[in-house]
Amino acid sequence: MHEKEKGLARDFLEGKLSRRELIKRFSALGLTASSAGVLLNMQATNALAADFDWKAHSGKTIKVLLNKHPYADAMIANLDNFKELTGMDVQYDIFPEDVYFDKVTAALSSGSSEYDAFMTGAYMTWTYGPAGWVEDLNPWIQDPAKTNPNYNWDDMLEGVRASCAWSGVPGEEVGAGDAKQWCIPWGYEQNNLAYNAEMLDAAGVAVPTNIDELMAAAATLTTDNVYGIGVRGSRSWATIHPGFLSGYANFGQKDLNLEDGKLSAAMNTDVSKEFHGKWVKMIQDSGAKDWATHTWYQVGTDLGAGKSAMIYDADILGYFMNGGDNAMAGKLAYAPFAANPEASAPTPNIWIWSLAMSKFSKDKDATWNFLQWASGPEHGLFGATKMDFVNPVRKSVWADEMFRERLDASYPGYVEMHDISAPGAKIHFTPQPLFFDLTTEWASSMQQMVAGEIPVDEGLDKLAESVNDQLKDAGLG
Amino acid sequence: MQHHQSKLETVLRALALTLVVLFFMFPIFWILLMSLQTNETILRVPPSVVFEPTLANYKGIITGRLETSAASLEINFLGNLWNSIFLSVTSVTLALVLGVPAAYAFARLKFKGSEDIAFTLLSFRFAPPLLVLLPLTLYFQQMGLADTYIGLIWVYQLICLPLILWIVRGYFEDISPDIENAYRIAGHSWFATFRKIALPLAGPGIAAAGLLAFIFAWNNFIFALVLASADKQPVTVGALAFITASGIQYGQIAAAVIMSITPTLALALYAQKYLVEGLSLGAVKG
Amino acid sequence: MSDSVNSNTKRKRRLISRRALPYVLSLPALLVCAGILVPFVTAIYYSLQRYRMSQPWAREMNWGENYVKFFSDSDFWNTLSVSLQYAFLTVGFELLLGLGVALLLVRRTRVNNIISILLLMPLMTAPALAALMWKLMTNPGFGILNYFLTLVGIEDFKWGASPSSALFTVVLVDIWVYTPFIMILLLAGLRSLPTQPFEAAALDGVPRWQQFYRITLPMLMPYLLTAALFRLLESIQQFDIIYAMTQGGPGDTLTVFQVEAYLNFFQSTNVGRSAALLMVLWAITFFISNIFIKNWLRLRERARGET
Repeated sequence: MHEKEKGLARDFLEGKLSRRELIKRFSALGLTASSAGVLLNMQATNALAADFDWKAHSGKTIKVLLNKHPYADAMIANLDNFKELTGMDVQYDIFPEDVYFDKVTAALSSGSSEYDAFMTGAYMTWTYGPAGWVEDLNPWIQDPAKTNPNYNWDDMLEGVRASCAWSGVPGEEVGAGDAKQWCIPWGYEQNNLAYNAEMLDAAGVAVPTNIDELMAAAATLTTDNVYGIGVRGSRSWATIHPGFLSGYANFGQKDLNLEDGKLSAAMNTDVSKEFHGKWVKMIQDSGAKDWATHTWYQVGTDLGAGKSAMIYDADILGYFMNGGDNAMAGKLAYAPFAANPEASAPTPNIWIWSLAMSKFSKDKDATWNFLQWASGPEHGLFGATKMDFVNPVRKSVWADEMFRERLDASYPGYVEMHDISAPGAKIHFTPQPLFFDLTTEWASSMQQMVAGEIPVDEGLDKLAESVNDQLKDAGLG
Repeated sequence: MQHHQSKLETVLRALALTLVVLFFMFPIFWILLMSLQTNETILRVPPSVVFEPTLANYKGIITGRLETSAASLEINFLGNLWNSIFLSVTSVTLALVLGVPAAYAFARLKFKGSEDIAFTLLSFRFAPPLLVLLPLTLYFQQMGLADTYIGLIWVYQLICLPLILWIVRGYFEDISPDIENAYRIAGHSWFATFRKIALPLAGPGIAAAGLLAFIFAWNNFIFALVLASADKQPVTVGALAFITASGIQYGQIAAAVIMSITPTLALALYAQKYLVEGLSLGAVKG
Repeated sequence: MSDSVNSNTKRKRRLISRRALPYVLSLPALLVCAGILVPFVTAIYYSLQRYRMSQPWAREMNWGENYVKFFSDSDFWNTLSVSLQYAFLTVGFELLLGLGVALLLVRRTRVNNIISILLLMPLMTAPALAALMWKLMTNPGFGILNYFLTLVGIEDFKWGASPSSALFTVVLVDIWVYTPFIMILLLAGLRSLPTQPFEAAALDGVPRWQQFYRITLPMLMPYLLTAALFRLLESIQQFDIIYAMTQGGPGDTLTVFQVEAYLNFFQSTNVGRSAALLMVLWAITFFISNIFIKNWLRLRERARGET
């Protein structure tokens, strides 16, 4: 059975057949795109099996903790291939995103050995790493006996890879010094502009290219039923890290200063005050009326329902809203965004869904087998072309012609946006143990500014003072 | 409380009652309407009651597959529903088995330290759940109770037991002890008296307390989330699965809410005779 | 055979002496709950530590320092004040409204009975999900409540998104969810009141509103207290509704105890502060409940004496 298909796949892998040709022939054989993908992937992993003993942990079972997310869906869709390749079994627990990290914290803080690996964000590893809950993955990545030769670690986008590594020294930049690889990038989000092309055309507004243009465009686009710009605003770290910090970093601003090993607040400089002032005014003039309760979900839903004209948020949020039963599906477009008119390129802050290995795992080598497969180039390409495993973290996937064409066809401007902003994309926060305390307070402070309860300058001075107190109290400042 | 009502009063009462019913029932009614709509019609401006009803949300929940804007979504809401039913029923049953005899002891057999013990039991209900939950995860891990139904049912006693104890105790106290005494003098043991006389008399109180405990157990959220794996989660956690990275599925959440209210509502309607009477702390019989 | 069983059990019965019986009956319940005391003591221990999980090297006993710091911590005083405001506002309104509704439904008619059960439906909606639905209904864009408000000429009411109306919004949702609980308890109480005092008062020509103040209210007191007690203790610990509606914002408008403690633990992993906050909350609830219980026992004695 399937000999013909398998033969085609082998030809492709040996370079005798172009990818496009392969898919064409597959469909001639009556295979759907996604089953062709699974089959191709099966062949790809079979090809790998020749160079590496994937069966070393055959018969073992590991359990992973997953967030309900398209990335997890893509992995599950391809999981049978892994089982066949390794002879291992993978069980998984999926929790809703709303409560996912509470579950992770509860499981890890109790030292539970139930989960061998789990999905996480890089910011969370700034807690998990020092707390001793996750493994530094470098020893596995660097060990040729444990990592298959085609894994190609250098294929990962540098900024993204570095953003998942930290030395554990408070204030030392991500990826710098004796950095530990606390997690492996899986899929990631840059923060850029997604806009309703129809609305911008109708209003005769050009796609804004800096913060002043963005403010003006948002104001023009705001009508009785539509507001100009969607950004997050809830009392949470999640309000600071997307568009806001991306724009903020574009002006060369930082959250914290590091001097002689001591951290101090850096958000009350003149430039910062000016940027905050513009940001706050933009929300007051042309943001959502209930901005202060806006999370990922509201920002996305409003864009998809045609309630907002633009968002300055995660690129994949705009990607999701351009499909399905959203009222505005097919009307959205994307653009890179550099808030600073003087900046040469955007500097998006990023969120990275990553995979981490629990320190309490009872079989770490077997767990690594799963991690290297799930973050490997074959699964990355399968997920990106057949499922919604976007944005991929591997350069080889971004270079894939089929993938680029697929995106270009349905998501105008997306590929170009990514290419332009990827070089500047990384985590622009200063890694330190108080990340969540300080960013939550930052968001709370911004809410007061937008509500007009405190002037921007005064609010930032107060925030800086409080941040310095907390840093001192924690022995960091 | 017998009295005659003037015409004006009747009208005013009816009016007030209508307003009350509107305030409390309108959101439920609206949730019901949303459960019959697609996300697109829910998010229409202005909102409207005119729409083509669809059962897609319910169908999706029951078959376990939902087509959403980005991808098809697999969920196991029926599993969550079953967990809620199982956890609530077993917890309330256990709480009744443990709580009713204790309530009887406090009410009938005044003993040294009884008030203190009763108060201590009640005070468990006051402890903020987070406070005990976090160390508890550690101990459960060590005792092998993590991720077990038994462990969960035990923790659920924190919700159910004090409520049952205090309501049933009041009920016992208000039933005149004369019948019981007469029965005992006839030569029956205290246990026979308890089973044949006290329990039936306190029936409505026990039913009402049980139902309230059921509702509070049903609405709990944090215990299972922290202490158990995905296959043991109740509806309160399960319904959050419709808040997805690619959008909030309001229609499905609404359908989930309706489906999660139904079992409790059925129980309440079935026990309605006892409910109000049962919460009267027995005074009717006094 | 049955004889031997009988004599056996009789002997056993004698073994459980009259003095021990109440302890035997209440012990299982106590034991099941006492298991909770162990984590409780652990939590006290945590509260006396400088303990942040992201800085394990700095963990040490600092005795009462977490508590002492609260005195000079404006965030703490804000938390205390917001929690108390929330608790008293919700319980106050719920008692008034619940009593009013119970009075409306006091007659034992079929319609009234059905309505009283249907009114329990908000209570059956898990607060976390109820809050989500209210968030949608109060959405300025497509929320039905905002639509109603525009019909009566109120534009742009921001509900939970504005510091000036956030407290009102969460209190409103709390009232919607929990008034039925108070209503059903008070309805039970009202229906169980003896009729003689009212008949006597009516014969004496006492006006109805005076009957209400002089007879109904005092006799209803044990029920009012039970309802108020259970609600107050839960309300001061509110989490689900507030967190789902506003996450404690805007600004620090709604950072009640459990929201602060939750964020401190799950996000900042500042276990020491989180545990200390929760201990303060526990102390408050213990204090309130003590007062209530004393009065409750006294009032019940009195109410029974009157019947």
